[in-house]
Amino acid sequence: MKGIPTVLITVSPEVSAQMRPPRALYPKGFKIGNSLGRPGMRDLQKKVLCDALNLMTQNTRPGEVVTIEYPEYGEQYEPPHVKTLR
Amino acid sequence: MTISRKCVPFTPFDRELSKSTIAIVTAGGVHLKDQEAFNIADELGDLTYREIPPDVDSSQLMVTHHHYDHSDADEDINVVFPIDVLRDLESEGFIGGVAKKHIGYMGYTMQLKAMYEGTAHEIANEIDRGSRADAVVLTGG
Repeated sequence: MKGIPTVLITVSPEVSAQMRPPRALYPKGFKIGNSLGRPGMRDLQKKVLCDALNLMTQNTRPGEVVTIEYPEYGEQYEPPHVKTLR
Repeated sequence: MTISRKCVPFTPFDRELSKSTIAIVTAGGVHLKDQEAFNIADELGDLTYREIPPDVDSSQLMVTHHHYDHSDADEDINVVFPIDVLRDLESEGFIGGVAKKHIGYMGYTMQLKAMYEGTAHEIANEIDRGSRADAVVLTGG
C-alpha cells in the first residue's frame, strides 16, 4: 500500500487532533452533525468542501487542524473538549 | 503492515485537483436506505461499513447512528456526506471526477483495536483498489 492522501473535515478539532490527521479543516463553530454546514446551504457546503480540498495542495503541517471561519453559518457552537483523567 | 502511532501517516498529494478523482469516507453512519442499517443495539458499536456508488440519488441515503443528532443530515445528507456537492465540483471542473466508490461507517466503537487494525484497513483497501480515488475527504458526524 502506497498510501492515500486524505483531508478530514472535523467539528471536534480537539478530539480529532489527538489522532494527528495528515490534513484537517475545522469550520469554526459548526455543530456536530453539520460538518459541511446547515441543510440546503449549498454555497456554504461547496465553500467548505473546496477549502478542505485546497488543503491538499497547500503546505500544511501534518497533524495540524486548520480553522476557517464561515460567518454565513450563523449561530456558532462550542466544540467538545477532550476530557483529561486526573 | 503496522501503522505507527507516533508519526503522522502523511501521504503527499502531487496532482492537480482539476485532474483528480475524489472519494468520500464518512463516519457519520451514512448508508443506502436499502442497505442493512448499522447495528445501534450493540453497545460495543458496529464495525461494518457500507459501499456507496458514485451515481447514488442522495434522497436514497440515510443515517443510522445514535451518538449524534443527525436530524439535519436526515433533511440534507450533504451536511455530513457531500456527494451532491462533489458532483457539482466535478461539473464545474474544480475536481476531475467523483470516485467509483464511497464509504459510510458508524464512527462509534468501544472496539478501538478492531476498528484501527481491521475496519480501517478494509476501508483503505476498498478505496485503494476499488474506487480509483486520487484523494479522500473524511467526515465525521
